[in-house]
Amino acid sequence: MILRFEGVSYRYPGTESWALNGLDLTLRPGESVLIAGASGSGKSTLCRACIGLVPHFHHGEWTGKVFVDGLDTSQHPVYELFRHAGLVFQNTDAQLFNQTVESELTYGLESLGLAHGEIEQRLNWASRLAELGDLMDRPPHLLSGGEKQRVALGSILALRPRLLLLDEPFTHLDPESTEGLRRILRVMKSEGMALILVEHRLHEIIHDVDRIIVLHQGKIAADGSPDQVLAREISDYGLNLPPLVRLFRQMGLKGRPLSVEDAIKELKDQNLVTPFSARLLEEAKKASISFSRTSPPIIEAEDICFSYHGLPVLQNIHFKLLRGESVALVGRNGTGKTTLIKHLNGLLRPHSGHLKILGQETLRRPVSELSRHVGFVWQNPNDQLFQPTVREEVLTGPEALGSYDPSWCDELFNRFGLISLLKRSPFTLSEGQKKRVSFAAALAVKPELIVLDEPTAGQDELFRRELAKFIVELQREERTVVLVTHDLEFAAEHANHWLVLANGRIIADGPPEAVMADSKAMTKAGLRPTQRYQLIQALKGMRKNKA
Amino acid sequence: MAFVATILLMIFHQWTSLTASLGILMMVVLLLHLGLPWLNFLKGLGFACFTFFIIAWLAFDLLTAVVSTLRLLAIGTVFFLFFQTTPPEALSNALLKMGVPYPFAFVLSASMQFVPVLVRRLANIRDAQRARGIPIEGGLSLLTHLPVLAGPLLIQAFKFADELAEAMEARGFGIPGRRFRHEPRFRWMDWMAVGISVVVLVMAFWSPYR
Repeated sequence: MILRFEGVSYRYPGTESWALNGLDLTLRPGESVLIAGASGSGKSTLCRACIGLVPHFHHGEWTGKVFVDGLDTSQHPVYELFRHAGLVFQNTDAQLFNQTVESELTYGLESLGLAHGEIEQRLNWASRLAELGDLMDRPPHLLSGGEKQRVALGSILALRPRLLLLDEPFTHLDPESTEGLRRILRVMKSEGMALILVEHRLHEIIHDVDRIIVLHQGKIAADGSPDQVLAREISDYGLNLPPLVRLFRQMGLKGRPLSVEDAIKELKDQNLVTPFSARLLEEAKKASISFSRTSPPIIEAEDICFSYHGLPVLQNIHFKLLRGESVALVGRNGTGKTTLIKHLNGLLRPHSGHLKILGQETLRRPVSELSRHVGFVWQNPNDQLFQPTVREEVLTGPEALGSYDPSWCDELFNRFGLISLLKRSPFTLSEGQKKRVSFAAALAVKPELIVLDEPTAGQDELFRRELAKFIVELQREERTVVLVTHDLEFAAEHANHWLVLANGRIIADGPPEAVMADSKAMTKAGLRPTQRYQLIQALKGMRKNKA
Repeated sequence: MAFVATILLMIFHQWTSLTASLGILMMVVLLLHLGLPWLNFLKGLGFACFTFFIIAWLAFDLLTAVVSTLRLLAIGTVFFLFFQTTPPEALSNALLKMGVPYPFAFVLSASMQFVPVLVRRLANIRDAQRARGIPIEGGLSLLTHLPVLAGPLLIQAFKFADELAEAMEARGFGIPGRRFRHEPRFRWMDWMAVGISVVVLVMAFWSPYR
């Protein structure tokens, strides 16, 4: 056994609820496990317990025993456990604390007190595995998100732990970097390392794990092979099920396909290909006509160019956003998405070209004036919270702009479930609650356009469902929603207009189905069509063949 | 050497000798191709020098103001050179060699790493607050809206510090018997630098042109 939990209960100091509640668990060497569960279900605490940070670092109340590689974690300090189990944390910025990537990888080896030759050998091994070859001399904090993730992984790999833990490693990665990380993890598995991965979005990694454990309120709610776990009633535990499994459930079909081929085979076996594809195509058609592109424009961008330190970031950007649309802005990390959305309220100004809001040129209008029309919900709600109470936090915008509307704000408190929290300090809220506060704060000034920056990153299925509901409500109020996201499944379901950005240019602009059909643009932007779209295409192809 | 230069600059009290030393420092700056970063650095220091000059002029007299401003400028440049040419890791290695305990030396080099990270966070916070209609346009409005920026930054910094501590523990920070890949050593170059510094310092004390 590489890992054993025996009746482990734990709560953080100063909290009432148990983060882990009577947990029993064993893991064999070389086994790879996906740990899933809603926010606050104890996933991160479990990871910390595996390397002794809980209870040694966090203190708190602890019962039961954890054995890692045969060592009782309560009897050994973290610096004796870290060579047996290595954890890659969620926040990559905070775990890179050396001058160069090379010294980052060496740090743990120096802690082990290894001989010079051994250090060099492991350094080469880890840098090759984590694909860090040409980054070794660079300072970590200047790297991209995907690169930082690989450095963090490499620095742990160098220790050659027998158990490797990754806490939500895919959260901030674009589809290509996600694939890259999956490739590295497959190699680790083949080297016989046991893996524990924490993730809400099951489809990211489900093909590569032997086992899924579902946590709920600090307890194990389900444990078994991926297929066994998916067969159980787990939709209440805040998991984002693989898209085709979800589709089959919605349509009341048997079977749990993970790939398009599985789905077609399943349909053939059940003799349902014709009725199923008819229903699916009808739904797709309904979705595409539900929005007409005749509403008036709210944003018009004409030939926008922007450069940073002499390097072009945006080139000849041209698009229109209409009233009541839901628009997804997709593309690789570092391709200019954030730069582009910062133009929408004047945080950045185009070096050439024009941006019009409601038909008016924005170039000379201050941010504070434009923010009446354009609201932002940033990825990290902690970037804006500063008021003593939730109520004041939400009212900050309207007060700064002198546009307070009591009945609208009451409606928002209600919509975002904040009524019972109004007098609380925003800092004491959970991350999901903070996110809802920042939504309400952005909407409080009644903007015509609202920009959501990676709204689904790191959020569980419960929040995703809420978010989908909010988006529908916003559209009903004739507000335009812009989603900046890597989550194409979400973008395909909840946006009717896609803008694809690659190398600072918009290379595709239209309804999601039309964009996904443009395979050249998709490849150029490092994107892959959603499984649902692929399935529809495959079914269409089969129909044609028959005819 | 930086420390010796600082002492030297403190004991010079004629504007001629100060101008001369500033000239020498400028030559070093140019020799090391640090002209552009130095100008950037001057943007920050210039404002401080200017206010310092005005205050000293009003409080004392013009000569004192000129001398002390020149001195401030020169000392600033010395430290600019020091931090430009000494990577934080070398500095912490030197401290280790001098017998400073590892955690202290580490904190010194690590804290310098996180300045750019926190600056980037601050930029995000400023954007987020401006996007809500809070008019932070720079200059004085930065001061009046301090809590708007400082609140989120402090909270994030505390959280960041906690996460950093965890990550360090998880890579064996507290372990006794750490062994360095590149053992810091005192080479003849370093001895030379120390020697020259001492000689110059002694000469300066006896020199009539202070």
